[in-house]
Amino acid sequence: MTHTKRHAAAEKARYPAAPDNPPPTQQHFAHISRYWDRENQGYAAKLLPGEYYVTTAGERISTVLGSCVSACVRDRRLGIGGMNHFMLPLDASKGSSIWGTAVSAATRYGNVAMERLINDILKLGGRRDSLEVKLVGGGRVLGGIAIDIGARNIEFVRKYVADEGFSVAGEDLGDIFPRKVHYSPETGKLRVKKLNAVRNDTLYERERHYLEVLDRDPVGNDIELF
Amino acid sequence: MARENACDLVITDVNMPRMDGITLVSELRGLPHYRLTPLLLLTTESSQERKLEGKRAGATGWIVKPFNPEQLLATMARVL
Repeated sequence: MTHTKRHAAAEKARYPAAPDNPPPTQQHFAHISRYWDRENQGYAAKLLPGEYYVTTAGERISTVLGSCVSACVRDRRLGIGGMNHFMLPLDASKGSSIWGTAVSAATRYGNVAMERLINDILKLGGRRDSLEVKLVGGGRVLGGIAIDIGARNIEFVRKYVADEGFSVAGEDLGDIFPRKVHYSPETGKLRVKKLNAVRNDTLYERERHYLEVLDRDPVGNDIELF
Repeated sequence: MARENACDLVITDVNMPRMDGITLVSELRGLPHYRLTPLLLLTTESSQERKLEGKRAGATGWIVKPFNPEQLLATMARVL
């Protein structure tokens, strides 16, 4: 064998490939991208903006955050939990006409992102008083001089967590860098790698597109009378 | 509270700590003064299975969050 082939073979031996399929997951997570993390010898789920994932099978959850924020929530006793990835839409005019700006469309999106995550954990046996919360993201990546979108997202998620009576066990928020994030609900460990602010067109485009979709998307059309 | 008072319309969340909304609807339907009251479920859930559960429990309708306030008011007007 050549040197490179031997090296590759040794790497493969040291980090064996996935032994079998990813652990079964709930129907509403069927479309979430899951992969075998060779380095950590375990399955992981990769989130895109707007997605969330909850696991009871010791999986890790990863994502890349620019101005978006992620709440990492787990039940300490059971080692189950998950993560979301969201941003508040800019257009606060939807809904503010009747309710006033207090419950803007922007806030309602954020509330849903948090509610889904927490409710799923509680339904899987989690208890509110055992929940541990870590917050990450909200970098000054998107937006111009006039508006700090990251800061807006951070303000929302901090307030939400405080209103719900949770304390923040760890955080890595703000600054001007995008972040690559790995979270393990089983151990509670949150690993953050700060990325180069300049050379990240994919992330910038993805978040900008997500914000556009949020602002365009008519909210509240799923009403069914039986 | 429901046992003592009748109301014109109920909008309830589904995921709640002590009793979930679907069970609440089912229990309310058992009370004479709630037999015909519009009971709406308001929730982040949107699966067909859950909607069917709500329908079977006797709910009048299912509204997925985030909701549009104008749409909610229009729905309330329709069922009242």
